[in-house]
Amino acid sequence: MKLTRLASALALSAAVCTSVFAADTVKIGVQAPITGKYANEGQGIDNFVRLIVDEKNKEGGLLGKKIEVVTCDDEAKAQKAAVCAKKLVNEGVFAVIGSYTSGATEAAQTTYYRNKVLQTSDGTSDSLIKRKYWTFFRNSFPNSAQGEFTADYFVNQKKYQRIAILSDYSSYSDGLANSVVDSIEKLGGNIAFRGKIKSGTQNFTAILTKVKALNPDVIYYSGYYTDGGLLRVQQEQLGIKADFVGGDSNDNPDFLKLAGKSAEGVYLVNVPTPDILPYEAAKKYLTAYEERFNMKPPSIWAVVNADGLRAVMEGVEKTKSFDTKKISDYIRNDMKDFPGITGPFNIREDGERVGASLMVYQIQNDGSYKVSFNK
Amino acid sequence: MDIFLQQLINGLTIGSLYALVALGYTMVYGVMKLINFAHGDLVAFSAYVGLTIFSQLFGASAVSFVNVIIIFLLTAIIVAFVGVLLERLAYRPLRTAPRLSAVVSALGAALVIQNGIMLIWGPNMQIFPADLLPSTTWNISGVIISFTQVCILALSAILMIALYFFINRTKIGTAIRATAIDQDAAKLMGINVNRIIMIIFVVGSMLGAIGGLFIGLYYRSLTFDMGWVYGLNAFIAAIIGGIGSIPGAMIGGLLLGLFNALIAGYISTEWAETFTFVLLIIILIVRPTGILGEKTAEKV
Repeated sequence: MKLTRLASALALSAAVCTSVFAADTVKIGVQAPITGKYANEGQGIDNFVRLIVDEKNKEGGLLGKKIEVVTCDDEAKAQKAAVCAKKLVNEGVFAVIGSYTSGATEAAQTTYYRNKVLQTSDGTSDSLIKRKYWTFFRNSFPNSAQGEFTADYFVNQKKYQRIAILSDYSSYSDGLANSVVDSIEKLGGNIAFRGKIKSGTQNFTAILTKVKALNPDVIYYSGYYTDGGLLRVQQEQLGIKADFVGGDSNDNPDFLKLAGKSAEGVYLVNVPTPDILPYEAAKKYLTAYEERFNMKPPSIWAVVNADGLRAVMEGVEKTKSFDTKKISDYIRNDMKDFPGITGPFNIREDGERVGASLMVYQIQNDGSYKVSFNK
Repeated sequence: MDIFLQQLINGLTIGSLYALVALGYTMVYGVMKLINFAHGDLVAFSAYVGLTIFSQLFGASAVSFVNVIIIFLLTAIIVAFVGVLLERLAYRPLRTAPRLSAVVSALGAALVIQNGIMLIWGPNMQIFPADLLPSTTWNISGVIISFTQVCILALSAILMIALYFFINRTKIGTAIRATAIDQDAAKLMGINVNRIIMIIFVVGSMLGAIGGLFIGLYYRSLTFDMGWVYGLNAFIAAIIGGIGSIPGAMIGGLLLGLFNALIAGYISTEWAETFTFVLLIIILIVRPTGILGEKTAEKV
């Protein structure tokens, strides 16, 4: 009898202690590839989150609570992502920003959903919202939107006759390539080749030689810049005179470094680059980012993730609570044209971001971008 | 036809790289009966060393033929030194220990080198400068060969022939062959086995260093874990050719490169790696000693 009383007293004091701690801080998680192939992008996301959180803390925090950022490195691997999700949930975060890749995002989704933790990611794979988790919303645009846009550009603008499509095996890249193929076929275009490369193998001459035999007008690659830059170099070395069009994840300064002189003339499909975002919030945050980290954000992806975080904070402030269900309802139903860094931020019922604009850039000989198609 | 020839050239290029790396495996195995799993990571390390030498010494100045030679020489020397160090620290203390201990030590050394690369140069991809070698390409009736490819093919052929003569025609080569057959008997004949093993590691690491630099020059992107892929392929090449046999490693490397390119070009790029392992399994079943490996009767 005495023992149970002691135990309950202990439990009570423990509860009091945790609630005292909980009163002054609130935790936000970052799940991103801090090391590994996409370390560059993951660190960009982490930096941007910390920038915004520090600013918020200076203003007095969220509903009077200081925000603490907990980062977990998923190395863009699904297995690590699942571990990260458990770790962040145990840390007691109420929202998670990330991850960068669709595969890692998807692997973590269910854990966050079961634990009622909000998650927002720049992953563009269409499969991310198929489970309709209320905890998840996307801060970038989906693959299918990019697929339709790319197909329209290929078939109606450039009038390519023979189109070669390449992807890697990741759920993002494969999904994007498939939606480009579907959209091209709907428009009556001609897919001459559809193949996959293994990311990181460096030697793509075998598949490119195969493509060369088909004499394509364009090679489209839907994977990441680490392979895209090499594909472009090897395409030129093999003397394949096709245009090279890269999907959004090729849009990274390292693509230019890898491709070197061969980068000239490459087309990239993406949302507007951070530099030319015409919005009020963009000027403010991008300058702040550059001042603090002495560099530009690695790409647009860090910026859309920052918008995801800002939308979560807006939800907390408008609903005056940390109840994730309420925040999610607010973001989906009541938030209209929230002024994001990447433009007006609206989330549909299923968690999809609507109204993102896309562009085609062409890389010039000095490495700068020129907008070549805009809708 | 030109497509077929193009695939052959692609295959031979990557095959020569595998062969250069495989020589390091095979020489160490031949003498020490040890599979040096750290060799692949040493190759990756050499690419990073080469990049650092370039950016430290010649980053600003124009690239010339002499500069490239200096980069190659310095890298080979540094990597040879690390190779010898590796043998001293990871393998020599275990020379009389059970075989498994040495294998575990080799795997440990591989992890140390890999993580060392990550600590020194960071986890991000590093990029080799584009203009180190001229980007000239030749078009021979539809088949494209680049200057880098010619360099890789020519230099690896020269190195392999030189190695062959070194092993078969010189006094040190004879000592190496004697040590490979029986270390104790070699000792009785006055051969300094420790010195022979050091030479093996110096030569093997230098060949690996040149392979690693070529990988950097040819593919341009370096990741800290790239050693694993090349190490594995070179290991398979060494087994196909007959591990322990020097001409075997060369033939195995070239065959593996050609096989990969032709499978990727004519059957499926997605399955090229699977076919590599199928080939390995077939070789192990049909001819377990590899193409040029000798069957040695175990004396009881």
